[in-house]
Amino acid sequence: MLALQLLVNGLVTGSALGLVAISFSLIYSTTKIFHVAHAGVYTMAGYVAWSLASRGAPDIVTLAVTVAASMAMGAFIQHQLYARLERRRATPLVVLIASLGALAVMQNVIAAIYSPNILQFPVPWGSKMVVLGGVRLTWTQILTVIASLAAYGATIWFFHRTILGKQIRAVASNPFLAEITRLYPQRVYVIVVAIGSAIVALPGILVPLDLGLQPYSGVTPLLTATIAMIAGGIGSITGSFVIAIGIAVLQNLSLLVIPGEWSIGITFFIFVIFMLFRPTGLFAAAR
Amino acid sequence: MLLELSGLAAGYGPKTVVSGVSFALEPGQILAFLGHNGAGKTTTLRSIMGLLPLRAGEVRFDGQVLQRMSVADRVAMGLRLLPEGRGIFPDLSVAENIDVVAARNIGADAMFRVPDVYKLFPVLAERPGIRAGSLSGGQQQMLAMSLAILGKPRCLLLDEPSIGLAPNLVERMFQQVREVCKSHAMTAVLVEQNVAAAMKIADRVIIMNNGQIVFDGLPDEARASNFWHYF
Repeated sequence: MLALQLLVNGLVTGSALGLVAISFSLIYSTTKIFHVAHAGVYTMAGYVAWSLASRGAPDIVTLAVTVAASMAMGAFIQHQLYARLERRRATPLVVLIASLGALAVMQNVIAAIYSPNILQFPVPWGSKMVVLGGVRLTWTQILTVIASLAAYGATIWFFHRTILGKQIRAVASNPFLAEITRLYPQRVYVIVVAIGSAIVALPGILVPLDLGLQPYSGVTPLLTATIAMIAGGIGSITGSFVIAIGIAVLQNLSLLVIPGEWSIGITFFIFVIFMLFRPTGLFAAAR
Repeated sequence: MLLELSGLAAGYGPKTVVSGVSFALEPGQILAFLGHNGAGKTTTLRSIMGLLPLRAGEVRFDGQVLQRMSVADRVAMGLRLLPEGRGIFPDLSVAENIDVVAARNIGADAMFRVPDVYKLFPVLAERPGIRAGSLSGGQQQMLAMSLAILGKPRCLLLDEPSIGLAPNLVERMFQQVREVCKSHAMTAVLVEQNVAAAMKIADRVIIMNNGQIVFDGLPDEARASNFWHYF
């Protein structure tokens, strides 16, 4: 029974991580920017939601405003930071350092406004328990899995069925040709970072509902998401999502045999295995 | 005149690659723009498109000075570039390639719509769902040509379109280029290493050497001259 509980816990955590991985992968494969500040957008989403929820805003309003604020922040970072650096012909290393700087600023501003301590969400339904087949789950965990699967499906549909989604894939595939066929790559980069920020807002709200908020909590999920993106195959939405879930499940199941502090080691073990035997990733070139 | 270059100079970093490049082309005229590797042909095409800033001179298209125009505005005016070896979106299907470019470039006055390019290159219509990157070299070039002409092209800048193609395919593709240009009064600047094939369809020949024009005349005049020592 403990194994089943750990498996379900892994699936729940993996669902949330899967969305972080999808969003990070979309941004990286299109813009080629290692958008570390994405962890800041993830964290900010939780605090925006907390501010609204603690003032008694209805859940649907909290969700809508948080997603909109995350999109605006992502678009602002791309338009005002990355695009400006690109116009100055900055190297990828300079852009990475700028992104790290943006992350540090966001984390510290959040810590200064809210406090660096853990904050609990004032949402009573979130922690109510349900027992399904002997496995204990909170409503937040159930919602996390449902929202995650829905967002994954919507992302796949958007990128393969809508003309904007196809244009984003075109820019990712050949930015030079996109420039000379009027696909406006710079505009597409702003849109894709905004979409990625909207996706990451969901785990940004749902994970703290379960575990509480902390200003510096976004880096570990981003690290796991990065590994999922590489092991899943850069550019593959499904690859990132599946590998993120796989990592979380293995981290949880590893508790049966080794202490919990080794779970990050499990993540890197999976990463090394992929680098050795399938360096292009599990789902390479299958977006 | 449709496309006019006067005293164009351009380059990369501290190095000026081309200088004093001047020519003017009428609608429907095909120019074979030849020269050895590094002579400055691609640099000239990139400057015309606005992908590289001019260091001196001027480019006019349909009487308008282009210097302050963005790449997208030049494309909207009808200047189209078929880039060397990079003319498709390899991760998208054939139909997706055509659809995304059509969505941005087909207006009410379009000369080439989606059915027109499928009619021009029927092999693309036979495999719309195939990933473009897995097409053969010839089919990829047909797709690249389709993307370049969707909408209302008035001047095609073709950068080494025959690279990687079998000789019989090159001849057929060049004939298609000539037919399309002549039937739609479309100007073409053809940068090409396959000198003989390019001269067969050209109305005029310009040869570049070390960033400057060293020959400008008719194909017959080029053949009669001792131009091979520039290659």
